[in-house]
Amino acid sequence: MDTPLSIAVIGSGPSGCYIAQSLRRSFPQSEITIYDRLASPFGLVRYGVAPDHQSTKSIQSQFARLFERENVRFAGNIEVGRDISLDQLRNTHHIVVLAAGLPGDRPVGVPGEDLPEVYRAGRLTRLFNAHPLEQTGVPKLGKSVAIIGGGNVSIDVLRMLIKQPEDFVNSDIDDAVLADYVRAPAGRIDLICRSTITNAPSDPVMLAELGRIQGVRFSCPDPIEVAEGAPRTALARAKAVEGLLAIDPGTETRVEVALHFGWAPVSINGDGHVRNVELRSVNDDRRNLHLDADSVVTAVGFDFDDGDWHGLGALKANLESGAMDHGLYRTGWIKRGSRGTIAENRSCAKAVAEEIVASVDALQRQTKPGYGGLPDEVRARAVDYSAWKRVDAAETEAAPGDRSRRKFPSHEHMVAIAHNKLVQTSAGTGAN
Amino acid sequence: MMKIQVLFGTESGNAEVAAEDLAESVRNDSQEVEVQDLSSFSISELQHDSMYVFLCSTYGEGDLPNTALPFYADLSVVRPDLSGMRYAMFGLGDTFYTETYGHGATKLDDKLTELGAQRVGEIGRYDASTWEPVGECAVAWFAGVLEDVSAVR
Repeated sequence: MDTPLSIAVIGSGPSGCYIAQSLRRSFPQSEITIYDRLASPFGLVRYGVAPDHQSTKSIQSQFARLFERENVRFAGNIEVGRDISLDQLRNTHHIVVLAAGLPGDRPVGVPGEDLPEVYRAGRLTRLFNAHPLEQTGVPKLGKSVAIIGGGNVSIDVLRMLIKQPEDFVNSDIDDAVLADYVRAPAGRIDLICRSTITNAPSDPVMLAELGRIQGVRFSCPDPIEVAEGAPRTALARAKAVEGLLAIDPGTETRVEVALHFGWAPVSINGDGHVRNVELRSVNDDRRNLHLDADSVVTAVGFDFDDGDWHGLGALKANLESGAMDHGLYRTGWIKRGSRGTIAENRSCAKAVAEEIVASVDALQRQTKPGYGGLPDEVRARAVDYSAWKRVDAAETEAAPGDRSRRKFPSHEHMVAIAHNKLVQTSAGTGAN
Repeated sequence: MMKIQVLFGTESGNAEVAAEDLAESVRNDSQEVEVQDLSSFSISELQHDSMYVFLCSTYGEGDLPNTALPFYADLSVVRPDLSGMRYAMFGLGDTFYTETYGHGATKLDDKLTELGAQRVGEIGRYDASTWEPVGECAVAWFAGVLEDVSAVR
């Protein structure tokens, strides 16, 4: 069994990079290629983590080592199902690992969700992050916004909407999108969390951070106390909320934020447009609430779609095993569902890598050419790591003085820079 | 030359990167260096004639990372006598977490000291908010520690 092992990883976000790290260690002689439909690596670290949380994004430098030092190939701009089929990848690689994350925001499942001013948090996060495949144009949010969901994504959205442009120093936010929003910013935001403060899924530090933003008045009509002896996270969360309530911006108030804990949405109401949201107390101890809102943002997690995943049928979460078929594995959110942080996806990748190591002898019986076995036209369109570095450099160079980078919101533009084709086009039109 | 054992506890992998860079910077023909994940290291392996370098991140409300918890729990329960053991400590954190910044390494350091081990040098600190390469920061810190060690000899 001396055939060099060829490995394909689909998706270059944290899960894809972590599994490549683990497999590189177990099989130093193998040929590993990470495929991505985008021209840039790093997935949700680049496009999901909020643009003003740059320290979280610093994990990219760890993943960059894979491509720079550890001989892992990046093949961006290749979409499985469009440029190449999953079967083609399986025929050319001994091992294929799906690390593509989850496609869409989970619906809340209440009437009124199809009203035009109901938006998914994923869309807003991608917009503020200049995701190249997101439709442009900021949705009409109006003067008052209800955010449904109590996790960190909902707090990311809240923070984006209550910050002022000067609060985004050193971020890589899409300035066009930001400028569009601040022309008509929200004056009132209701954050609706189904759990009580004790069990809310948010990181207390994320809540406390909201207090650093000027001109915001917070209120919370629900009990803030948590039981003595509650987990430390719950105590910290209660303390964070108390800290927010103690802030009084007085006449400087730009925006009112109401935090609701222990309330579940019943319906989103309105005649053709969002008018209000009805809430029910999860403990059934209070009468239903009606909150006026011009728009609703839902942030209740991401989910598998019911579609056929490249011939594999509809996928469901599997907490035990990453093995799907002979030589086919999955890791990260596409394995476990949208629970867990970047760090939890690291331990998930380690566990899946162990499964792969345990079964590798059975997989290596025939020669498989790996990346080199793909059709010429597929390899010609690929953005490799050095090509991505050209985009990276161009983004950094294009950044205004108070931004860390300016992300290009067009996929074609990124690919053109990567393939060095932009210069010729500009010269031809006499543009600068 | 004493053997240098580099042990890391990590959630996101940055402490591992730093551990590898640090090991690389001191490894040469005469210097034996080993890197190990704290999750696969048993307290029964602790030797008195080695120099230990711990690199440890912080998680949650100022806790040790999950991969370091079994090691820490063993120290707390078994309470081995570590007098004579020498170690250096490097903590990774993020000043975004103002109240718990770098507490993971501090906790581990307190425990080792309590059991009689002797720390050389100051606790190194890395702040993820700075965007500095964590490996370079760890290498520079450890070079300083080694100078301190040779100075007292």
